[in-house]
Amino acid sequence: MKGAAVRVEHLVKVFPDGTRALDDVSFAVRPGEFLIVIGLSGSGKSTLLRCINRLIEPTSGKVYIDDVDVTALPPDALRRLRRQIGMIFQQFNLVKRSSVLTNVLAGRLGYLPPSQALLNYFPRDEVARALANLERVGIAEKARTRADQLSGGQQQRVGIARALMQEPRLILADEPVASLDPATSHSILKYVEELNRTEGITVICSLHFLSLARRYGTRVIALKQGRLVFEGLPHEIDERRFREIYGEEAVEVEIA
Amino acid sequence: MAERAVPQRVPPVAVPRPRTRPWTLALLLVGLAVVYAYGWKVTQIDLGDLVTKAPLVKPLVRDLVRPDLVTWAPRLQEAAAGFAFFPAIPPSVETPPGGPRLLLSSPVGQPGQRLVVRGEGFAPNRSGELLWEDQSGSRARAAAFRTDGQGQFAVTLTVPDLIGQSHRLIAQVQVGGRVLRPSQTLTLVAARIVETIFLALMGTTIAVVFAVPLSFLAAKNLMRGPVGTLVYGVVRTVLNILRSIEPLIMATVFAVWVGIGPFAGVLALALHSVASLGKLYSEQIESIDPGPIEAITATGASPLQVIRYAVIPQIVPPFIAFTIYRWDINVRMSTVIGMVGGGGVGFLLMQYINLLQWQQAATAVWAITLVVAAMDYLSAAIRERVV
Repeated sequence: MKGAAVRVEHLVKVFPDGTRALDDVSFAVRPGEFLIVIGLSGSGKSTLLRCINRLIEPTSGKVYIDDVDVTALPPDALRRLRRQIGMIFQQFNLVKRSSVLTNVLAGRLGYLPPSQALLNYFPRDEVARALANLERVGIAEKARTRADQLSGGQQQRVGIARALMQEPRLILADEPVASLDPATSHSILKYVEELNRTEGITVICSLHFLSLARRYGTRVIALKQGRLVFEGLPHEIDERRFREIYGEEAVEVEIA
Repeated sequence: MAERAVPQRVPPVAVPRPRTRPWTLALLLVGLAVVYAYGWKVTQIDLGDLVTKAPLVKPLVRDLVRPDLVTWAPRLQEAAAGFAFFPAIPPSVETPPGGPRLLLSSPVGQPGQRLVVRGEGFAPNRSGELLWEDQSGSRARAAAFRTDGQGQFAVTLTVPDLIGQSHRLIAQVQVGGRVLRPSQTLTLVAARIVETIFLALMGTTIAVVFAVPLSFLAAKNLMRGPVGTLVYGVVRTVLNILRSIEPLIMATVFAVWVGIGPFAGVLALALHSVASLGKLYSEQIESIDPGPIEAITATGASPLQVIRYAVIPQIVPPFIAFTIYRWDINVRMSTVIGMVGGGGVGFLLMQYINLLQWQQAATAVWAITLVVAAMDYLSAAIRERVV
């Protein structure tokens, strides 16, 4: 099975200023699942995702990816594990002045010996792989364009292509469509959904819109002020649960 | 556009706008008037002088717009012959066929000897002169002559006590007419300007070599932890101190250290530029977008790979822009750094001004203007292509 299994146990993250971003969060993700994380801004969604690949160091608790304790890995082993975890970001996080191709190739850096990449030399088969991935997300013709000359949706597709270069078994998506319009949001999530369905890559994706969660997720967890307040299927979120997650005054608004 | 699920909000209350009281403004204007009136007096501004004394500057301006560039030199026919003190071998001299020739009674000899010099193939009935050119290259007039109707002449002279062993005797005949030659001023200024251009180039390049690594040490976001913070503090302070010292002062110090000349100028420019570039570079490093760093770290890249692919592409274009900006400034500074002994055209300019040789000064000023304008254009072109 291609997808990774993820297990989070009693994860706690307290920032130096005292903010308790994650408070005893535990859940499990089966291989091939499309898990959606919802919650208000500041509820801990981004922190949770970054604790899974240790871009942020958890204060306590454990994260297991395929029974490997991520939180206890030494730096070299962590880097090797990160190779298999692709990540896409709300702000795309591309290198603006570099070409699309260079941005995508950078996704393969974990697999290349350091000396090679330092001279901006990528083997021909890697370049071919990059172009193939760009083809897959439909922007192969933009390969030589500067990254900051693309639209938001195109930039996120470059982000996806970059993640695909890692041949990941797990994809972490941190509010990937929060900066995009409704139509583009659907198009991006469809790409991710296709990767999840056809290749069995496990996806953990944080989203704002419940309607998107209902449409694309196979399971949903909700965070509120760092605590897990809901875990279940998307259609199980009725009005009462909705208010529990988002607060008493909340009103659900549809995204077209 | 449909918003996310948010709690209901209360509409905002209208806030009253603040107003400046009229007499506060009046007080401010009066205060400014007092300050500027005093300033006018202290700086001794006298607009009347500007108008009435304008004619005083007319001769100066007239000279400044007529730089000393070329001189008319009489057209010459020239021939040379080699002569040496025994036992040295006289230098061979090229004699193009059909041209004028100079023949010596003997190509070797001793000081005090009699030497018969014969010339042929020159223009007829013209005046000319013979010059000795000794081994050091300096020339001295030996004798005057006149060519006959066939363009020949003969002169007897005594061999003088020349410096060195191997010399040349040169015959120059005026054939009438004038030739345009670069003036001595132009030759001097041209040589010094080349020195000036390279002053700026070498100074800037040396500065870049040191500034780039130093800038990483002076970047707050890279220097973390107790050791890092200490290093950051030290490097930043040193750079700030160096930046406040005027390059002209530095040039004076270096002129005493390594002697007056372009080396002192290069050192002064380099030292000041390291400080300035170091600060600019490090500020750029501190303001990079952390997003790409996060993204590339997440792919499992090593720290060096992260720097190469996430940090460097963000800082290279601004680095180049800053370097070019610094190069511009250094070109301007290198033109004046000669005034304190730093080599380049500045010293020449100062000399001409002190001797009230305005036309010569004009040559230097025009040359400086040209160079600065050319460098401006070049740097803008580079900036456009790269950044």
